[in-house]
Amino acid sequence: MLIFAIARVIPGDPARIALGPNATAEQVENLRLRLHLDQPLSVQYGHFIADLAQGDLGVSLYTNRPVTQDIAQFLPATLELIIVAGLMMILIGLPLGVISARYRGSWADSTIRIFTLLGVSAPSFVWAVILMLLFAYFLPLFPIAGRLADSMTVPTVTGFLLIDTLLAGNIKAFGNAAWHLVLPAFALALSGIGQAARLTRSNMVETYDKPYIEMAESYGFPEGRIARRYAFRPSLIPSLTIIGLDFAAMLGNAFLVEAVFAWPGLSRYGVAVILRKDLNAIVGTVLIISALFLIVNIVVDFLIAMINPRIRLSQRAQ
Amino acid sequence: MTAPTLLIRDLRLSFKGYSGLVEVLHGISLHIDKGERVALVGESGSGKSVTARIILGLLQTMRTARISGTVNFEGRDLEAMSRAERHRLRGTKMSMIFQDPTSSLNPVYRISEQFHEVLKRMVPGIGRAEADRKAAAMLADVSITEPERVLASYPFQLSGGMNQRVMIAMALANEPSLLIADEPGTALDVTVQAQTLKLMRELVTRHNTAVLFISHNLGVVREFADRIYVIYKGRIVEHGKATQLFDNPRHPYTRALMNAIPRITGEGIPKIQDNSDEYLAPLVVHEGCGEPGEVA
Repeated sequence: MLIFAIARVIPGDPARIALGPNATAEQVENLRLRLHLDQPLSVQYGHFIADLAQGDLGVSLYTNRPVTQDIAQFLPATLELIIVAGLMMILIGLPLGVISARYRGSWADSTIRIFTLLGVSAPSFVWAVILMLLFAYFLPLFPIAGRLADSMTVPTVTGFLLIDTLLAGNIKAFGNAAWHLVLPAFALALSGIGQAARLTRSNMVETYDKPYIEMAESYGFPEGRIARRYAFRPSLIPSLTIIGLDFAAMLGNAFLVEAVFAWPGLSRYGVAVILRKDLNAIVGTVLIISALFLIVNIVVDFLIAMINPRIRLSQRAQ
Repeated sequence: MTAPTLLIRDLRLSFKGYSGLVEVLHGISLHIDKGERVALVGESGSGKSVTARIILGLLQTMRTARISGTVNFEGRDLEAMSRAERHRLRGTKMSMIFQDPTSSLNPVYRISEQFHEVLKRMVPGIGRAEADRKAAAMLADVSITEPERVLASYPFQLSGGMNQRVMIAMALANEPSLLIADEPGTALDVTVQAQTLKLMRELVTRHNTAVLFISHNLGVVREFADRIYVIYKGRIVEHGKATQLFDNPRHPYTRALMNAIPRITGEGIPKIQDNSDEYLAPLVVHEGCGEPGEVA
């Protein structure tokens, strides 16, 4: 309902914008009728809910196709970007935090802390531009924009290029798609990597002072095992919460990164439709993004319950 | 005569700080014979706990610590050993019990997993089922009536007393020759503390384990230890058998320490001088316990 309301308060007449400045007043009036825009808001809302219940998000005025079809086309690109960025966050951020905590005070720790501070101190679109300049322009290691080289085509099955290329058995295209993903995903993940690493480090340093770590040391458990099992796991609980929030925040940050890298994803579609006041498309996009946000948070809660017996058991007891 | 389980000679420890070296232990000497229960008594900050950590080799990893003197364990010089060799002793030949049992057990693992880890120190390839069987037997030894339920629990599901028993069982699981107890059960209430101490005493007597018992609680020490060292500001000030020391405390600090205990008869909180030059009087050694093996 909030989404619905916000889309309506944006100034401007959607029908007028959709049809362009040359449309006649009659044409505009016809479109308004078709979109129920002539009726009171409460009636409009009724239409919206009734359609939504049938999985119908209406027709986009911008692409002139059902919004669901648009989303199905653009969502996989964004999801692919975000999932890869999320994996980077976990696979780079957490280990950096662990190394930093285990060798605290050493040069490795200092280097990691500077790197992660840089990561959190600038928004991802700034990193997108910087990375693009450094590694695609001055040092042409990575492609500047897009998801796949123009010379390659892959039949669309899932919309995830990494999966589609493999389904097509086209290893070269898979490599190319992955290569296109590196910079945008890294730009998107940088602040998350920084946050995950810094949080893991501070939690682990705190955990290292706990009596149960001293006890593990006094029993001569191997150092690496203490770091992994005894210090890391209790520290992982708060880190995981932050990673979940970052993961969700990436949905928003993706708007700008997609714009920089000309990534044909949902976020870019979202910006385009907002600028055109394409009501149905705006509502549809925001709805999907909120749903993703919810799903991510639920998954994180489950993961936390899995590693924290205290939460798991207290819920069972109730 | 066999070598004493632990022999410390002129142990000095300093920490390097911004204002230079600060000496914390000023030459401590003590020994524990095989199967003997020895207490190290002193106030907070007197150097009891750092001594324990030096014996285990935990303090040596601190970059600011400077340690000198000799620590011999069963006739072997610990400082001359390689890191790996020392490491091998921990958890097998020597083990430690800590102040607060509940926070000394890892909160995210079940007791059985933690027990398994301890048993692996002795038998690296030990399987889960075998470890559980052994652990259950050991828990039964510390009077835990439902070992299976305890093994399947997390530390936060057990009471403090229960966790303390688990700690004792773990510490003795690999039959170490030296057990270091650093203020065991200080975090527990007195009745539970008394019960677990009694259990611990029975077990170490049965296994003939030498114990270094670190405490500030003279009442507990009297019941537990054969021999007592009193430590004050990094120096041993009095040393004697428990009976000698309690019947006839000769060092001014020992006397002050004994007077400091509030009586149950309600004579008010005793007045004790915080600092006194008298406390720095030279070491008093009671008859017949100056050297290892002298105690009959």
